Amino acid sequence: MHYDIALAWSTLPQLLRGAAMTLAVLIPVLALGLVIAIPLALRRASPGRRWIAAGYVGFFRGVPSLILLYAIYNGLPQLAGIRNGPLWPLFSNAYFCAVVGLSLTHSAYLAEILRAGLQAVPQGVVEAATALGMRPNVIFWKVRWPIAARHALRAYQNEILIMVKSTAAVGAITLVELNAAANEVFEFTYDPFTPLLTAAAIYWAMINIIRLGFDAAERYLNAGQTRALIS
Amino acid sequence: MTATAPALPIPKAAPTVPTPIITLRGVGKSYGNHQVLHGIDLSIHKGETVVICGPSGSGKSTLIRSIAHLEPHDNGQIIVAGIHLTHEPQSIQDVRRELGMVFQQFNLFPHMTVLGNCTYAPRVALGMSERSATALAMRLLERVRLVDQARKYPSELSGGQQQRVAIARALCMQPRIMLFDEPTSALDPEMVNEVLAVMEELAREGMTMLCVTHELNFARRVAHRCVFLEQGTVNVDAPTSSFFDAPPTPRLAAFLDSRL
Repeated sequence: MHYDIALAWSTLPQLLRGAAMTLAVLIPVLALGLVIAIPLALRRASPGRRWIAAGYVGFFRGVPSLILLYAIYNGLPQLAGIRNGPLWPLFSNAYFCAVVGLSLTHSAYLAEILRAGLQAVPQGVVEAATALGMRPNVIFWKVRWPIAARHALRAYQNEILIMVKSTAAVGAITLVELNAAANEVFEFTYDPFTPLLTAAAIYWAMINIIRLGFDAAERYLNAGQTRALIS
Repeated sequence: MTATAPALPIPKAAPTVPTPIITLRGVGKSYGNHQVLHGIDLSIHKGETVVICGPSGSGKSTLIRSIAHLEPHDNGQIIVAGIHLTHEPQSIQDVRRELGMVFQQFNLFPHMTVLGNCTYAPRVALGMSERSATALAMRLLERVRLVDQARKYPSELSGGQQQRVAIARALCMQPRIMLFDEPTSALDPEMVNEVLAVMEELAREGMTMLCVTHELNFARRVAHRCVFLEQGTVNVDAPTSSFFDAPPTPRLAAFLDSRL
């Protein structure tokens, strides 16, 4: 086991391009995941017609994301309706398929995190807001949601950090993200350690930057009220 | 009244007895097969302090919560400040506008400061400007002796302080009636008195108050009238003096014996 600093330095631009692809997949996945997860969580946390959301969450948490990516990128084009349909330009694009596949998985996990956060909001606090004459949508966005978000923050951070590493799966559908870039270097040089260790260091740096961001957010949101929300 | 009656206000006879500000007639409520309230009749007049007590499970909380429509009543009539409480959103909203409610668990907004707790509802529900809401909140925080805590978050305060904030928050909506649902039951004994003192002051200033409480000494000192609920019915509704000194029913006498 030998770490070749010269090789690491000369292939760094290649790995950083991979890291850029990782972020290019990750960021829309996080945004899209949130957009899908909020209505799912609301359905899950409210009485009635829960089964659609429950089915979605159950299905996409259960399917391995790698297989889901293959199914979208390699499987859907087997259907003539997709191949000849108006959506073909999208589904023939690996980047699009990667974002869709990971968003489906991510949103299912995130929906559960948000549901747990919403259910952790004390019913009495919502009642107090009701008794004060606040309208239901005001109560949701200004009382339930901010409290739920604070409860959910820790678990959301975990999910995002796992998602950073899960982006490696999109290498399987031809996108050269960080892990695939490291593998390319390995295939050219037959040095198994240097590119992979460098890639690991880049992942580590990304994850810890995100973590610091969450720490700051948590400090801001919990200013002076940690006990009330943790207890 | 017939359909041809003139659309003029009907002159009212000078009232010999003022109309109650809260009237309950035959109010009933059940959860599934379990009937919690059976035909409750109760009236509260302006400026009155009425204490509701009774054994646990007697329906005290359900009764007070049904007035704010936090538990919709199944039958009977609830009239608050002349408004019939139906299950229509507008009627519910109008009734709640007249009421301030204080809960056992304080139920402050944990993500807002004390001042934010007090100003938020007046701003969004009454459309008050931030400046006038703040001025009003500071005045009421002064009244519950918490002005110096205005910038703190609820979790930084003691239970007694939190409950006083909750009282100020309810008063900020300038209600005509205050409902208290066991306001001191979740407090450590040494904090009970600071909350009761605020409530007593409020009663002395003429606020109409309906309190569910186990604090019988408070009831004896402050209440004009006491109501004893038993198994979802009004067992006794009497002026405070006779309520305590000559309990009209053996059930109440036994209850008082076990408490005093």
